[in-house]
Amino acid sequence: MITTTPYWNPILETLDMERLQQLQLKKFKRIFKWAYDHSRFHRSLYDRAGISPSDIRSLNDIRHVPTVEKSMMRDIQRKDPFPYGDALCVPIEDVTEFRQTSGTTGQPVYQPDTWQDWEWWAESWAYILWAQGYRPKDRVFIPFGYNIFVAFWAGHYGAEKIGCEVVPGGVLDTAARLLKIQELKATAMMATPTYVLGMADAARNQLGIDPASLTIDKITCAGECGASIPSTKHRMESAWGAKVYDHSGATEIGAWCYECQEQSGGLHVNEGLFLVEIQDVDTGELITEPGRKGKMIITAFDRIAQPCVRFDSKDVIEWADYACPCGRSYRLIKGGVQGRADDITKVKGVLLSPSAIEEVVRGVSRLGNEYEVIVEKKGDTDRITLKVEFLPETQAQRVEIEKELTDQLRLKTNLRYNLQFYEMGELPRYEVKARRFKDLRK
Amino acid sequence: MYQDMDIQRIGRKIMLMKQNAEDLRIEGAGLPALERNMVRILASLKMLEISIVEVAELES
Repeated sequence: MITTTPYWNPILETLDMERLQQLQLKKFKRIFKWAYDHSRFHRSLYDRAGISPSDIRSLNDIRHVPTVEKSMMRDIQRKDPFPYGDALCVPIEDVTEFRQTSGTTGQPVYQPDTWQDWEWWAESWAYILWAQGYRPKDRVFIPFGYNIFVAFWAGHYGAEKIGCEVVPGGVLDTAARLLKIQELKATAMMATPTYVLGMADAARNQLGIDPASLTIDKITCAGECGASIPSTKHRMESAWGAKVYDHSGATEIGAWCYECQEQSGGLHVNEGLFLVEIQDVDTGELITEPGRKGKMIITAFDRIAQPCVRFDSKDVIEWADYACPCGRSYRLIKGGVQGRADDITKVKGVLLSPSAIEEVVRGVSRLGNEYEVIVEKKGDTDRITLKVEFLPETQAQRVEIEKELTDQLRLKTNLRYNLQFYEMGELPRYEVKARRFKDLRK
Repeated sequence: MYQDMDIQRIGRKIMLMKQNAEDLRIEGAGLPALERNMVRILASLKMLEISIVEVAELES
């Protein structure tokens, strides 16, 4: 029987805030004690801070627990118990899964998981996929390399848990994946926004297939910002004739938030499985009211091999000031993850978030999907260059396009750019995750 | 419909399953097919514990 409830677990997802917070306190105390008792790294951190599990009596006390940064994990790994080091909380023989982070911000961090943790990953993704309309009747195509990064592994197992038929699209190249989607009439797909757009281009340019003619009716995006940037979401949905949903997760954290079918402009934090706190980047104070951006400090309540307790993710988020019409009590973060605190930079004295540039470029309909931003120093002054591509046959409209782009960039980022225009295909292409913002001053 | 479910009763049944699985896992030492399958079953039961039992315990 295919149930009609929109919630994977209504018991948690519609739990009133008072009881949810009671539950969160109980769960935080448990994972904090687990880390304190089983991890030499965490025990040392907490002892130096003079805090122990008995000090946590209210949610307000949690702010006194020291945060963990990625760099701290790098420092303790590659040692015994090899290769995880002092943060491993279970016997090494209980570890059944090894993954590592992508290494885009430095040396990769290793992530061990027990079978229970792996089951937890699948459970977390079941919340996501059910909220996005995946049901047992769906045939889910996963165009992912099934490699050392956690990426869509848990999406695969979450889809299986829900009862979907899962088609693993690893090894196949993009064209072969598209043909397999067409052959099998797959109804859903998971990929990064960069790859979703790349597949659409490949369908049109290599195979002469309109991707909107394929049977995909929903796409789950993860791995990079994009699906919560309205113009990027619009491009993906138009290209595929499908609903595109965002999700944010991380190797060291888990699958912590998801967009639901209402697409109300934010992502639900899975507050039954995670505690999300927002910290002011400058002052360090906790932000509890909606509408103020800060960086996310997050705790995964039930991950045991290498716990995630008040992890400083550097993700920039803000609470929404409205409830989602879906009826979930899980709060929304407005606009999803809006960037990374360490990506936000000052150019010519102005704070700039790279995602703001993406929103502008992809909102100009006569430009291609790809772009590149280069920030460099010319003497004492910053210089910012934006490279974009014309769509075929729009070069004649260059003057108008340039004006539209200049005006929108000024409005949205308060900066003037050196604009460079290229023909379609001249700018770099990325297979999975893109690195379009290059700050050469660093 | 889930609104009509007695989650306290469901929670007690889940914990009974967990106890049985724990007992079998211990009994299964030396019989890999039993022991390792019980580890998997316990992992699934843990998901029910964090999803349902812990909420039921709040209400009791």
